[in-house]
Amino acid sequence: MLFFSFFKTLVDQEVVVELKNDIEIKGTLQSVDQFLNLKLDNISCTDENKYPHLGSVRNIFIRGSTVRYVYLNKNMVDTNLLQDATRREVMTERK
Amino acid sequence: MSFFGLENSSNARDGPLDFEESYKGYGGHELEENDYLNDETFGDNVQVGTDFDFGNPRSSSGNNAVNGNAVGTTARSYVAATAEGIGGPRTNAAPAAAAPLDLKPMESLWSTAPPPAMVPPSQGAMAPGPQQMGPPQPILSMQDLERQQRQMQQQFMNFHAMGPPQGLPQGPPQQQFPMQPVSGQPGPSQFAPAPPPPGVNVNIAQMPIGPAQVPVQASPSPIGMSGGPSPGPAVGPGKMPLQGGRRSKRDLSPEEQRRLQIRHAKVEKILKYSGLMTPRDKDFITRYQLSQIVTEDPYNEDFYFQVYKIIQRGGVTSESNKGLIARAYLEHSGHRLGGRYKRTDIALQRMQSQVEKAVTVAKERPSKLKDQQAAAGNSNQDNKQANTVLGKISSTLNSKNPRRQLQIPRQQPSDPDALKDVTDSLTNVDLTSSGPPSAGSSAAAAASKQRRRSSYAFNNGNGTTNLNKSGGKKFILELIETVYEEILDLEANLRNGQQTDSTAMWDALHIDDSSYDVNPFISMLSFDKGIKIMPRIFNFLDKQQKLKILQKIFNELSHLQIIILSSYKTTPRPTLMQLKKVDLFQMIILKIIVSFLSNNSNFIEIMGLLLHLIKNNNVSFLTTSKIGLNLITILISRAALIKQDSSRSNILSSPEISTWNEIYDKLFTSLESKIQLIFPPREYNDYIMRLQNEKFMDEAYIWQFLASLALSGKLNHQRIIIDEVRDEIFTTINEAETLQKKETELSTSPQRSPELETELKSITYNKEKLYQDLNLFLNVMGLVYRDGEISELK
Repeated sequence: MLFFSFFKTLVDQEVVVELKNDIEIKGTLQSVDQFLNLKLDNISCTDENKYPHLGSVRNIFIRGSTVRYVYLNKNMVDTNLLQDATRREVMTERK
Repeated sequence: MSFFGLENSSNARDGPLDFEESYKGYGGHELEENDYLNDETFGDNVQVGTDFDFGNPRSSSGNNAVNGNAVGTTARSYVAATAEGIGGPRTNAAPAAAAPLDLKPMESLWSTAPPPAMVPPSQGAMAPGPQQMGPPQPILSMQDLERQQRQMQQQFMNFHAMGPPQGLPQGPPQQQFPMQPVSGQPGPSQFAPAPPPPGVNVNIAQMPIGPAQVPVQASPSPIGMSGGPSPGPAVGPGKMPLQGGRRSKRDLSPEEQRRLQIRHAKVEKILKYSGLMTPRDKDFITRYQLSQIVTEDPYNEDFYFQVYKIIQRGGVTSESNKGLIARAYLEHSGHRLGGRYKRTDIALQRMQSQVEKAVTVAKERPSKLKDQQAAAGNSNQDNKQANTVLGKISSTLNSKNPRRQLQIPRQQPSDPDALKDVTDSLTNVDLTSSGPPSAGSSAAAAASKQRRRSSYAFNNGNGTTNLNKSGGKKFILELIETVYEEILDLEANLRNGQQTDSTAMWDALHIDDSSYDVNPFISMLSFDKGIKIMPRIFNFLDKQQKLKILQKIFNELSHLQIIILSSYKTTPRPTLMQLKKVDLFQMIILKIIVSFLSNNSNFIEIMGLLLHLIKNNNVSFLTTSKIGLNLITILISRAALIKQDSSRSNILSSPEISTWNEIYDKLFTSLESKIQLIFPPREYNDYIMRLQNEKFMDEAYIWQFLASLALSGKLNHQRIIIDEVRDEIFTTINEAETLQKKETELSTSPQRSPELETELKSITYNKEKLYQDLNLFLNVMGLVYRDGEISELK
């Protein structure tokens, strides 16, 4: 649940999603679910020339399992809190 | 189709539903009663028996579309008719009306509003039935929602039972209206989440196009279920206003026509499968999905999100967790538009009730899993199965417990670690040739009482020996984690309004532990995360505990890694990272100490702290470090403040005063003849300025120290101070004067550019700052530096 919880805080933020087929898509994160499926809005493809078919797409649903990376802005992450959340996760596992 | 409501779900379980079977006989094309609207629907020049494929207006593939679709898709025919441009006096009006209409397919697709809501405003005005456009929906309780759902379901069952005998293939949309009053529901009920028949969505989108339907809707009089709509009054009023004022299709430009067709095609596509699931079906799926993500204990399982939101909102949770989930899920599922009337509040309410139910489901689930896991034991984990509503799933792998990419074996602390500790200490011995023997062995730890602390600090620049003297790096890091866990637990208790018991946390701090050369707590402060946790620790401590911690800090100040890092003697070439660390310490720990001293402490405690500092540390070394100097400044200036304050209100007792004088004398003696050392050498300053890319070095903290030292001292003390730092005073004056010259030079220069202006500003600022710092010290002794000379303060 840690990553789900984390990604929920990124809703309405702009992220770049790199898929496992090398396509990079920039867009506003609309929603995320427990499988880390992502919904992006106002998307743009970083390599328009290579993937022209994405030029006419405005929003997109990405299956979580196809995501390789999600690039974030540094200040979107509260690292101290994330550390605490990780600790909590470990603590609950141990119980 | 979904029209069958309840039966649908049971059918679905028994096996795939043959739609053609289920509709057999419903839409036979023999002549029927009350089909006077058929020409509206199908065009009036069409042979009886022609096969319509309502979903695909363009294809004429004649399967029994009429049979299959007639019940649910009455209104679709308009799309077909419009798209194909079937002429005729009546249909003329129909396509025309479509032109200015925004179909908003998404809304209609997700619409949860029941039939009466379909009446467009223009028609509603004509016949404002009691249940149309009702007042804003009062908040419905969950029970209400459910009751209404049941009732609506019941209605459709009834209707379905009666519909066919009446021979009304196009019946459903029309029949509902008379039924509304029968159900005895109050007006608002129409917004209730009732499962609309499949045709509804179609109607919503198409409504204004089809004048033929208007009469039926515009006459919501409670005719009752028995009678079909009477043609007479119904047709009349409905058609007139709609036909007026609208452009006929011929007026449209080809471009507009093309767009219209595209739009229709799109709507067709969307409508093809609309209504496949009843709202109940959707609710069921939603609830199931929700049950995967809701949790009873959000602060535990959804910690990051929950706390992040609190921090973002500045400590206030504006909405309940369930509300948030409901809202988020509403967004996610596409229901957010709230149906045709954009009743987002209703949609949200419904979703909240769903979340409520889902939480109940979730509550039951984990226990089930645990039982199963317990039963299955540890062997053969992957074969463990859990029975869920949707079948069997593996209980070991789910979204809450995904498959691990890394399996880290839990290793019992054993010999390899001990060995490593020894090697660590060995290397440190090599590095610090002059240092005392390594304390890695337990024998040395036992001898901890006879240590000479102040000398330790000089042994190295990175503090690893100190770590080893307090149990090793790993031990300290584990200790910090333990403290974090205790703090997280305490904070969780605080959030839940439970009692907090900080004894376990206090024990984890090892403040009273004297089995190590260097107290583990002091070593904890060698790590950033150890520093960062301090304010949170202090939240759970009482005054005595806080005082104890401070005593420990001042006692072992020389062991503090931060002192070593911030002293120009031990770390003449600090890295940027180290400087950041010093800043972090200054920001957090000094802040804690200052706030404790100014809020909780009395004169005796401050004297005690100062005594701890003097007795156990090499004071002169401490003053070469920025942090050390700051700490001493804090203590003596606070003491001076209390002394001044109490000289007015409550006088300090004479033993207190004399003790203070004694302590001050001790402090001064340890500094005497070494006061000049508090000024870092030129090279050090230059280096740091280069590193931080700054032009000036802020030395205010040094002058603050001198000022507070002089303030508490007597005249002879002050004289000694001035004597010792005379050179520095003049250096500072020279520096300020150089800046002054530069300033005049720049300000008289003929060309002025923005860069020059900023430089000038910075020079003026720094010159002023130098004077300020210097005067802070001089003023204490009644002196002032002004206009190039030191004079007496008047």
